[in-house]
Parts: sequence; C-alpha cells; structure tokens
Amino acid sequence: MASLSEMYDVGWEEMRDKLRKWREDNCRNSEQIVDVGEELISEHASKLGDDVWIIYEQVMIAALDCSRDDLALTCLQELRKQFPDSHRVKRLTGMRLEALERYDEANKHYDAILQEDPTNTAARKRKISILRAQGKSTEAIRELNEYLEQFVGDQEAWHELSELYINEHDYGKAAFCLEELMMTNPHNHLYCEQYAEVKYTQGGMENLELARKYFAQALRLNNRNMRALFGLYMSASHIAASPKVSAKVKKDNIKYAAWAAAQINRAYKTELLTATRELSGGKLFNRTYY
Amino acid sequence: MPIQLTSQAYCKMLLHTAKYPHCAVNGLLVAEKTKEKKKDGHSGPVLCVDCVPLFHGTLALAPMLEVALTLIDTWCKENNYIIVGYYQANEQTKDSRPNQVAQKVAARISENFSEAAIVMVDSSRLTMSCFEPIVFIHDHHENKWKIREVTTDAFEDWSEAQKITSALLVGRSYENLIDFDNHLDDLRNDWTNPTINKSVLDLC
Repeated sequence: MASLSEMYDVGWEEMRDKLRKWREDNCRNSEQIVDVGEELISEHASKLGDDVWIIYEQVMIAALDCSRDDLALTCLQELRKQFPDSHRVKRLTGMRLEALERYDEANKHYDAILQEDPTNTAARKRKISILRAQGKSTEAIRELNEYLEQFVGDQEAWHELSELYINEHDYGKAAFCLEELMMTNPHNHLYCEQYAEVKYTQGGMENLELARKYFAQALRLNNRNMRALFGLYMSASHIAASPKVSAKVKKDNIKYAAWAAAQINRAYKTELLTATRELSGGKLFNRTYY
Repeated sequence: MPIQLTSQAYCKMLLHTAKYPHCAVNGLLVAEKTKEKKKDGHSGPVLCVDCVPLFHGTLALAPMLEVALTLIDTWCKENNYIIVGYYQANEQTKDSRPNQVAQKVAARISENFSEAAIVMVDSSRLTMSCFEPIVFIHDHHENKWKIREVTTDAFEDWSEAQKITSALLVGRSYENLIDFDNHLDDLRNDWTNPTINKSVLDLC
C-alpha cells in the first residue's frame, strides 16, 4: 500500500508540522492523526529530535480513539522507556485502561498518582471524565464543582462544566460557568457567543435582551462570527415581536434585526459561489420576520 | 402512517454519526410533499427521501436550532419537501432513548406534520458492514413516544441502503459530510451535501 507521503507528495517535515498544528488547535481528528503520525514515527522517528515524545503522546491518544490498541501500546512503551517515573506517562496508561472500558482499574491507577501527588490536576480530571463516560452526570458535576473550588483558574474545567450543565438543561448554572470564562477571557468571542446562546435558551424578556447584547459583543470581537450574527437577528426579532415592549424598544430592535439581516445577506453573497444557496439565504432575510 | 427511509436518508444519518463518534449528533428528515389525500384519510407510508444533518456536540441550545429550522423550512418549500422527522444519536453509545431535546424538536415538527417520527441511531451497533439496520423509530401515540420494531420494511430498499452505506463508511465519506454546524463555521459548506448525494446516486 502506498504511504501517505507517496500518495500526497508530502515530506516528513510537513507531516510533523501538520501534527503540531492539530496539537495547538486541540483537534480531535483522530483517524488523520493516526494516519500521519503512524507513518511519521515508523519511518522518520530519528529525524524528529525531542519532538518525537510529544508526538508519541499525541498519536497514542488518537490511537485510543480509533481502537488501535497495538499502536497505542507501541507509543506508550516508548514513552515508558524514556520517562519511567513520569506521572504524565502514568496518566496515559490510565487513559488506555479507560479506552478499554476498564474503569475500575483506571480509577485505581489515578488514585495511585494522587496518593503520590495530591495536586495532580490531570489525574483528577481523568477521574471526572470517567464519570462522564459512564453517564454519571450528577456525580461528574459534583466532582467538577469541587475541583473548581480548588483550581478556580482552570478554563478547560469551567468549559466542561458549562457543557455538562447545558446537557442537563440547567442553563442558569451553565451561564455562571460561561460568565467566569468571559471574565478571565474578555476578548474571546466564542465564550460571549455561547453565553448569549444560553441566555436565549433560558428565555424571558430580560434574558433575550442580555442575549442580544452578548451576541452584539461577540460580533464586535469578531465580525465574522456567523452564530453571533444570526443570534443577534433572532433575539432582536423576538424582542421586537413581543407585545410587552415599549414602542421605543420595538423600534430599536427592528433596526438591529434589519441591520443583522443585511449583514447576513451580504455574508451569503460574498461567501457563496452557487446561486441557489445565495437565494435561500437571501430570500429568508429579505422578508420581515414578524 | 409510519415513515420509511431511502438509502440516501439512511446513509447520511449514519455518516453523520460516524463523523463525530465522540459527540451527540442530530438532524432532520424530509419527505416529498404530496397533495393527494385518499378519501378515507389514509395514505401510504411517508418516504423520507433525504435528511439534513444539524449539529454535533451540544444539542440543547435554542438559537441555532431555530435558525436551522427556518432556513431548512425555506429550502423545503423551494424543493417541495416537508420536514417529517428528527434523528439523533446520543453521546452515550449505550443509550438510545429519545431525550428532552429530541421530544421538543419532534413536537415542533408535529405542528406542521402530525405524524412526525423520532429516529434514534444506535451507535453501539455501528459497523462497516451495516449488516443490520441500527435505527429505532418512535411514533407519537396518545401523548407518548412509542418505539416501533424496525424491519427491512422501514426501508425503501434495505439491501441497497446497506450496500451504499457500507461503501461510503469504508471509503470514509463521512469526512466530507457537512452539517449545519459546519455551515455556520464556514458559509461555503453546503448542508445539502450535493457531493455525497451524487456518490449515493452513483452507487445505486
């Protein structure tokens, strides 16, 4: 079978750079990582220098996703040889047990790490992930809340908690988590936009107005965020259509909705190459919503 | 009358599920709008000719769902389709019950189509060979969602659906499947999936 590098005419450096980009963006495209990474480590390991170890880790985790226990073990064994007492590698051993659904063993493993190092956040978070994998949302939420009391700056944890709350339809608590994230990351348009979505879902006039404001804020931070643009249109339209608002509020929101609709039309016209899609996007937002 | 699935609808549901194995996914099922109504009020089974993959990951937020429903509704009117059902694959592979989100969306669909169905994909049985149908169909009876036994009758042509779905899974076509989330990330991504539709046609 032809190798990837032969099929796509890429050199090992490009493959290495691709893996780095996927690491930095935290992508979970595991099949691709396995394809590229497996070839890279089997044919070019010696050229990778110290990068090889982080690549072993990345490929190992991707291999677990793809049920490639053979590849995962190969990577794990190389890492164990190189870093025999490392807690980071021990965590990977635990993750392999999780992938094999041997949760009790995995938990024992993480408990052993925590015995030696009670501040090991990775092991604690893996234990919480096991609860989520087992469908034990209530326990996962409780453990994650306890974790965050100690490690209040862990953004990944706050985001995970917001997701868990959204899945349980506890939008108020999800909003609280996103507020924490927005406070510490005021320029992150994604957190603003997600917060707005949660507020919109909660419903009620106050929440709708907050949603509209935060969709607008997300747009200010990134004017290409289509979710924020659509969200602004939807929330302004709903507010304008409500019989409970004053004439001024109605007028203002009609203006906001009209502006958003025009921006959406423009976005579709500029991005799209086919006429039919343009038509669908344009048609909808040319007619008034209410 | 109960819904029936074409190969195109079935395979795109499974491709969507396969593309995001670690996430919940959902989407809408559409049928061609027919004007004919027999005198006794009964018509044949409703044939779902296509599906539109919606979201992956967090399914329980309202605004983008409303946007999707509105845009897809417009697309349906242009193509003489009607939204007749909703599909979902849960994050937990062992759990294939319709949850609150599924029931809410299906209730919304029922406003325009009284016999809306929920199709749950059982991702624990997803295989490359697709040797058996892995969907559960739920119909609304007396205010409850009741599961219906799925046989090959639930398909327009099961052996064709099986052959095509298997071929596309093996060929990793799911990498090119576009859902509404992908569309919101980049408007050029076409949620009608013309490329995959063409592959399905070629394999028929």
